[in-house]
Formats: sequence, C-alpha cells, structure tokens
Amino acid sequence: MKPILLQGHERSITQLKYNREGDLLFTVAKDPIVNVWYSVNGERLGTYNGHTGAVWCVDADWDTRHVLTGSADNSCRLWDCETGKQLALVKTSSAVRTCGFDFGGNIIMFSTDKQMGYQCFVSFFDLRDSSQIENDEPYMKIPCSESKITSAVWGPLGEFIIAGHENGELNQFSAKSGEQLTNVKEHTKQINDIQTSRDMTMFITASKDNTAKLFDSTTLDHLKTFRTERPVNSAALSPIFDHVVLGGGQEAMDVTTTSTRIGKFEARFFHLGVEEEFGRIKGHFGPINSVAFHPDGKSYSSGGEDGYVRIHYFDPQYFEFEFEV
Amino acid sequence: MPTGDYDSKPSWADQVEEEGGDDDKCITSELLKDIPLTAVLGGDLGASVAEAEAKAESELLKDGPLPSPKELINGNIKTITEYREEEDGRKVKIIRTFRIETRKASKAVARRKNWKKFGNSEFDAPGPSIATTTVSDDVFMTFITSKEDLNCQEEEDPMNKLKGQKIVSCRICKGDHWTTRCPYKDTLGPMQKELAEQLGLSTGEKEKLPGEPEPVQAAQSKTGKYVPPSLRDGACRRGESMQPNRRADDNATIRVTNLSEDTRETDLQELFRPFGSISRIYLAKDKATGQSKGFAFISFHRREDAARAIAGVSGFGYDHLILNVEWAKPSTN
Repeated sequence: MKPILLQGHERSITQLKYNREGDLLFTVAKDPIVNVWYSVNGERLGTYNGHTGAVWCVDADWDTRHVLTGSADNSCRLWDCETGKQLALVKTSSAVRTCGFDFGGNIIMFSTDKQMGYQCFVSFFDLRDSSQIENDEPYMKIPCSESKITSAVWGPLGEFIIAGHENGELNQFSAKSGEQLTNVKEHTKQINDIQTSRDMTMFITASKDNTAKLFDSTTLDHLKTFRTERPVNSAALSPIFDHVVLGGGQEAMDVTTTSTRIGKFEARFFHLGVEEEFGRIKGHFGPINSVAFHPDGKSYSSGGEDGYVRIHYFDPQYFEFEFEV
Repeated sequence: MPTGDYDSKPSWADQVEEEGGDDDKCITSELLKDIPLTAVLGGDLGASVAEAEAKAESELLKDGPLPSPKELINGNIKTITEYREEEDGRKVKIIRTFRIETRKASKAVARRKNWKKFGNSEFDAPGPSIATTTVSDDVFMTFITSKEDLNCQEEEDPMNKLKGQKIVSCRICKGDHWTTRCPYKDTLGPMQKELAEQLGLSTGEKEKLPGEPEPVQAAQSKTGKYVPPSLRDGACRRGESMQPNRRADDNATIRVTNLSEDTRETDLQELFRPFGSISRIYLAKDKATGQSKGFAFISFHRREDAARAIAGVSGFGYDHLILNVEWAKPSTN
C-alpha cells in the first residue's frame, strides 16, 4: 500500500478522529491548527483557526455538523464543520485534555487538567440551552481530586462517560447525576487513550504500562490484554474484523537517542480474541500518538510524534489474511 | 541529458514521457487522487468522488520565461503541466497525471465532498494540494504467523553470533579461510614446509627462550595499576642506557625494501606473522602524505624467525613488486 502523507501540522500529532461516515478525518496536534481532510484522497478541506496553544482533543458529532476541540490555551471551542467558523468558546482555568459529543450531539463533555493550582474537572454543557455556554455555567461539573483524567469517551446511549486517569484507574461518571458509577484499576500507569468499538459495547484502553486492554463498557469488566514492550499511546478496534491496532513506541523524550530501526515505531496489529500480534506496518519516524480505524474498516490512519498523519488503505492481503491459532 | 531541444516542438510532452525512465534528472513520483473537475451531483445516491494515481515527471528547460501551467482532461485522465524554477536556476517542467474516479456515496457524504474549502485551505485549487498531501513510499504489512517468528526477529540470525569467532583457520597464514584456499599457498606454503624441515621447527609463535628480555609491557598490563618507573622491572639497572636493548633487537631485525606505496603496517604484520612473533614493525612513511616510502624494518623476538623470514619472503611478489629482504645493518649512530 502507498500511504497518503498529510502534512498539515508543525508539531506532533495529539489526536485524530474520523467522523461517523469516515469521509472526513480531523487531526489535531501540539500546534494551534485544527485540520480536516477528505479521507478518500487526503485533500485538505480546511482548518479551524482560533486556538492559541496545543490542541489536545477533537470530536465531531453524529451528523458532522459541529466539531469540538479542547486546547492547552485553556479553552474548548465549538466549530461549524462546513465553514470553519467558531460557534462557541468556553474558557477554562486549565488545559482541556479530552472532549466529546454525546450520541445525540446535544451535550458536550470535556475534562480539564490538574494544573496551576486548579483541580481536574469534567464539565457538561447542554448545547440546546445557549445560556449555559454564554454564562459559562455547565449544568454539571464533576471534580476529580485524586488523579487527573487523561482520556475520556462517552459510553453507550450517552448515559455516562468512561474516564481513564493518570494513575491507571478507570471510572464511569453518570452524565445525569455526576456520581461515580464504577471504578476499576487494571492499569498501573497513565491511560493515554480510550476508543470504543463500533457498537460501543466494548472499549479499548492504551496505557503507558505497555499494555492495551479491552473492557466491557457497562460493567468495566476486563476482557483482554495486549502486551507490548513499549508504552502504548493509542489503540483502536477494527469495525469489521476482530483486530486491534496499537500505536506507540518509546517515550518521546527518548526518541532522539534511538535509531528508527530499533525504536519500534510500527503500528502493531493484534487479534482481538487470542491477544496475539499478527502484523506490523512501519512508516513513522517517531512514536505513533494516535491511531484510528476508518468506520468501514478498509483503512486506518496514524498520527505520530513526527507531525505527519498517514492514511493507509489496506492491501488485499490484509482482507485475505486468516489468523492461525 | 536531453536539455532544452524540446520546448519548441509540438510533441514535447510525448518525448518527455519516453525519455523519462532512464534519465536520472527526472523526478518520477506518484500522486494521489483528485476530485473531478466536472463533478455533478446525481439524484438520490450519486455523488462523484474521485481518485487517481498520478505520475509526475520533470524535465530541464532552456532559458526564457516560464510558460503558464496547463491542464488537460482526457476521459478520466487529468494531466497538469507545470513549470518551476529550481533553486539553482534550472527550469523544470513537471507533468502530473491524475486518474479521476467516480464513487457512489451517501447523500451526506456527497454533499460534504462539495463543500467549499476554508481556513488555511481557502484558496487551494480543487484536488489535493502538493503542499499538504503527498503519497508516501510503498509500505507493506509484515505478517507474523506464529510466536516463533516473533522471537526470531529479536534473536536474528544465529550465524551472526559466530561471525566474531574464527571457524576456519588457515595453516599457512592463519587467515580466516581454508588452507587450500590460501592466497599464499603456492608461495609461502612450500617455503614454510621446507624451512620447518631444515630448522626442525614448526611455524608459529613459540615460547620465548629463557633469558630473552621479556617485553616490559607484559608485567605492567597484569594489574593495570600505575607503577612508578622507580618500581618497574629493571629499575635496579640504574643509569643503564637503552642502547644495549636496541642492539639485542637489532640482531633479529630485517629490512624489507621494494614495498609498494600502499603498504601499511598491518599488511606487514600479516605477511611476517607466520614466521614468528614480531616485536616491532617500523614502516618508513612520508610525513606529508602518509604513504609508504618503500622500506620497512621488522624486528622479531628471535633471530631464527628473522632468518626464516628472510629466506621465505625475499623475492616474494607482493602487490606488483618483488620484495627484497635482508638483515638490517646496525644503525651507524
């Protein structure tokens, strides 16, 4: 396969996300520009300009009307997807680490860092009530005093969010009452990324403790473990196969002291059931920070510390490949 | 290099295409997919989304103003011809070919495909911009079929482990090859055999004769600690000059002349090592160039070894020259 190389960022990629149909790919990096691309040919549709710091997270709603971004410039912004205009701006007291639309696209959630004397909070806004954003009054704000949230996604049906913490804990917070529903600690180090399966019944976590783990969304039961020898920065579940792709590599601060050959910067494919690796794809010159499967499962994208995004369309061999146990 | 002749001819592009392959100045790259310029949104489900593989070629141009870019659509092939000036002032013509592809997509996706570009891409032409989108080199998925394969990758070839060790040692020159394959087997081999018979000794390094001065180095390297000169071996021999030792050495020193300019100390070491242990090699070199001046002194620990070396190597063809080996005359000073 010949990957399409997207050069829209000047700093390392922090997150990439497809919209629901997968025709658009949103990428954010440690620079203030938010890019959106046509995934079919790598053409850049546009940029959402306005942030003044590193952008940590991006999300698009169900019908790709709105885009939500959270940044280290202490703001979370809502954009009109088609025109690139900024619709709303929520000022926060510390950097916004994760953000997300709920299933219906009406409620947004974002978490802020424990930073500069401020606590970590998860804030919920209802977009239907415009006064909430105007007056900066979230309908709910959950404090997390123990360990800050490093990754979070909405659970099925928008009933709760699943949050991964710096100390490796996983929590469910109700989106209605704000109470903590379930708590597990399966990881020993920071959870870098959480991505749900297509039907949202399961989710996969990527952790600095060199593993990625599969959990049940509602019960937080630990189902599977995928072990590597490097910190895992991102993990994604294939929508069509029992496959998992992991992106990672050594820590960014150690990269300059290692050659690319031994850096293990490949994207690694694991079989979901037997927890064994079956394939690797090389390409990045640094650790992979974010991976995402196209919703049709025929391609995947990865964004790395090197600042590039690569869209890979799988070769026929991938679809013919059968895992031998 | 077919420079400049083509720009006046009408069939310029065709010729460039033909020349493309074997011209090292040509940049051939593959580019992308492109949106159709004539995209028409169909009824219920029709949307045109294009994809193409493209070829870019470039060619040097003659002086003169840069022609304006041209775009040609022939069926589902779009050709863009551009002209660009390189940093070093050369003018280059680039031809990119795109394949336009129409795909069916849902209404929402089709509508999104026709959105106007915005933000930093606002003024980009339709189709992927070269500034932001390129096609990368081919990569392949490496399939790992079983656990063993995984381990293999880490351990790599077991032969690599043996690389450091000598598996084969030549009897003639101690080289890393079979004796029969020795490059010196016709010259050194028979001579050594003869000499060994004559002297009743076999080749190779021997125990040093008692009484022969032990190299000082050996004692020192045992501990690795610094030993002041007053405590070293031979410290009791006060006031003794170095000269007598040198003399003893001189007895087992040979002079090799008619060496080629490219000779190095290591070459000499290889050449003379088979005759016995060498205490010193001095290769006369030009100070400025570092090239050999054509002669060298080799000091053996034992005079017999030196004698055998003279007998063995004198008249021996080395590089393209015939070596001349004789006893070194004691230095005059």
